[in-house]
Amino acid sequence: MTMAHVRAQVDVWDELVAADGTPRPAAAALLAQLATLEHSELQERQTLAEVDILTMGITFTVYSDGKGIDRAWPFDIIPRVIAASEWRRIEQGLKQRLSAINQFIDDVYHDQNIIRDGVFPADLLQHSVNFRPECVGANPAHGVWAHISGSDLVRDSDGTMYVLEDNLRVPSGVSYVLENRAISKRVFADLFAQQSILPVDSYTDELNRMLVSIAPEGVHNPTIAVLTPGVYNSAYFEHSFLAQRLGAALVEGADLVVADDECVYMRTIGGRERVHVIYRRIDDLFLDPEAFIADSALGVPGLMRAWRAGTVAIANAPGAGVADDKVVYAWVPDIIRYYTGEEPLIPNVPTYRCVYPDEMAYVIEHIDQLVVKPANESGGYGILIGDRASRSELDAHIALIEGDPRNWVAQPILSLSTVPTLCDGEIEPRHVDLRPFILSGAGSYVSAGGLTRVALRKGSLIVNSSQGGGSKDTWIVEAD
Amino acid sequence: MLLSRVADSLFWGARYLERAQDTARIVRSFTELVIDLPISVTSSWEPLLAVTGTRVDYDERYESVEEMPIVRHLVADTANSSSVITCVANARENLRTTREVLPREAWQTVNDLHLYVGANAAGGVERRSRARFLGRVIADGQQLDGVMTTIMNRDEAYEFWRLGESIERADMTTRVVGVRAAALLAEGWAQLPEDGRTVAEVHDDVQWMGLLRSVSALQMYQRVTRGPIDGAGAVRFLLLEPQFPRSVASCAIRVREALTRLPRSKETLPAVDELDIVLAGLQARADDGASLDAAMDEVQLALGTINAVVVDAFVRSDR
Repeated sequence: MTMAHVRAQVDVWDELVAADGTPRPAAAALLAQLATLEHSELQERQTLAEVDILTMGITFTVYSDGKGIDRAWPFDIIPRVIAASEWRRIEQGLKQRLSAINQFIDDVYHDQNIIRDGVFPADLLQHSVNFRPECVGANPAHGVWAHISGSDLVRDSDGTMYVLEDNLRVPSGVSYVLENRAISKRVFADLFAQQSILPVDSYTDELNRMLVSIAPEGVHNPTIAVLTPGVYNSAYFEHSFLAQRLGAALVEGADLVVADDECVYMRTIGGRERVHVIYRRIDDLFLDPEAFIADSALGVPGLMRAWRAGTVAIANAPGAGVADDKVVYAWVPDIIRYYTGEEPLIPNVPTYRCVYPDEMAYVIEHIDQLVVKPANESGGYGILIGDRASRSELDAHIALIEGDPRNWVAQPILSLSTVPTLCDGEIEPRHVDLRPFILSGAGSYVSAGGLTRVALRKGSLIVNSSQGGGSKDTWIVEAD
Repeated sequence: MLLSRVADSLFWGARYLERAQDTARIVRSFTELVIDLPISVTSSWEPLLAVTGTRVDYDERYESVEEMPIVRHLVADTANSSSVITCVANARENLRTTREVLPREAWQTVNDLHLYVGANAAGGVERRSRARFLGRVIADGQQLDGVMTTIMNRDEAYEFWRLGESIERADMTTRVVGVRAAALLAEGWAQLPEDGRTVAEVHDDVQWMGLLRSVSALQMYQRVTRGPIDGAGAVRFLLLEPQFPRSVASCAIRVREALTRLPRSKETLPAVDELDIVLAGLQARADDGASLDAAMDEVQLALGTINAVVVDAFVRSDR
């Protein structure tokens, strides 16, 4: 592969190659190494990676015709590289952001000072589908609600890194960060020998530490369980992976029972055994049929009682999703200023909130230049990218917005940076985002890098694996 | 702290994988045997249907009882719930839902075997590629065993795996003895049409060698007995030899060990005592084909009781 294959692009930031066609400093060693490989050799390494993924059973589940199909995890071998110096700033920014968001959630379920001080509109909270009245007054350890979060970062054409959204409910993808690294260490063993790339493996140990830190008072060696909706869930691979790495039990709702003492137990071969910390991977509304959806077979009757009684910790805490909302997102810079007294270190993407008539009018008028998003959908569903939609699609979305303004926000169409990617034997730029994972408990921790998702279709901005997205390893490189 | 649900999956995962290997061994050794025997000795493949207990199911879906359809049924037929391909798929599914308690390599081994079997099962039917295919199934099973032995904690998950494996293995050895040894002992005195000699006199050693091979016991049998093969001796070896790890008696010892280390052994061990009593009575019955068949039914019954007791004590209970 030669540099000529990675053409400089106009109006798009490439993560590895600068506008003048020279390598970015942190990627110089990688590009120099790649230059020594023939296309066929590169393709051969890609094939080896895919064979490894198949035999290691690294999969995700997609749904089609009502059936879940286990698919091999899509991975591109050319990594995305970030300079360690830039990463340290991002890391600080994410810690700042999550600290503020957690204070916000705790405030929202207690005194609501931020509303009384006029910084956050009261009616937004009243209409939030993720606000849980059942959680008012609850006191999770350290005042932390969003213990595990994934904030999606994108880089615009001028090189600025923005936070695109915060996933505070059950963000997934971290297992693939670790697996991608395992694969690329095999495929590029020779490259790892020659530069200093931050390891990612300590994430699960930090996760364990965090989960121990939120155990009920007086419990020093807690029993931890990962609660999964089951084998048909699209992220089951990850649930299983994390339980394995944590040495925790992987439980389904039916494996747990809340006894008369308001404690949670799991059904083991030796009888019932107390569980102290639950890392849940099911949504709030399915957690407890007593409190939420009554016919949920995924949940555990009485779990909310146990949580409120303080006999069990739940991560993320029920109700944490109140701040995981594309409308609340628009206020996060204000939230950061309010709780930390600091300016946000990582900016938000400018966001128009249709709840305000003037902003809605702007959105409707400029809809063909905006990305329009529903407040409460994940996985890229319901998103409209204005400059690629037909007139009738635009009109359909305008009707949706007018029908429920609070549920819609819009942002300028960012150009999303690219990374050279192997596509049918050719190397072409493809758009990427980045999801780092942030742990918050007694302390806080940010994964070294995160999950780089790549839109494999030419020109596409949709990076979700359920919609044709792939992934890359993310290298945080100490440049000399 | 093993979940009941996970224990159940491990138990069945182990049973399925053992069954896949055992079936592979039986088909492989029977193929070798048939190749050895002269064409005048009609070699029916029907005993394989009896050993695997799939005769009724087979008759519903196949017309003729010939080698190719029978081997297809036993190896590559996804509609047969105990074919090699189905057992490997089921084992994989059970391991997929118990990955958190197993060494990572255990899952990878079974996943890899599943990919191999899915891609090559048709070749496992053809005579020319059959041995290679079945050999891989057995070798991967042994690799998994090696993973468990060398890097897995001796915890409850491990004991459950061993429990499932030992019960399945004892079950299959019992079936082999009940069907084929019993038949051989009964047929041994029948006279061949051409020269009046008995079947036993002419082909017995080859048949018994085949039988021992079908549970990978031939070489170990010869090491212990150091003489020509005799039918009753072979039967005693397969059922009772404590040195041979695939004998029913050895399996019973491992079942006892596993249940002793697991909770509630007071409830579960009496079922193993019953099996031991049945085994103790077998010594005298090894020479007689008709009695042997009935005796194997008793062993199977005792194994079934252990299985039921295990399910009751660990899977269904919520105490």
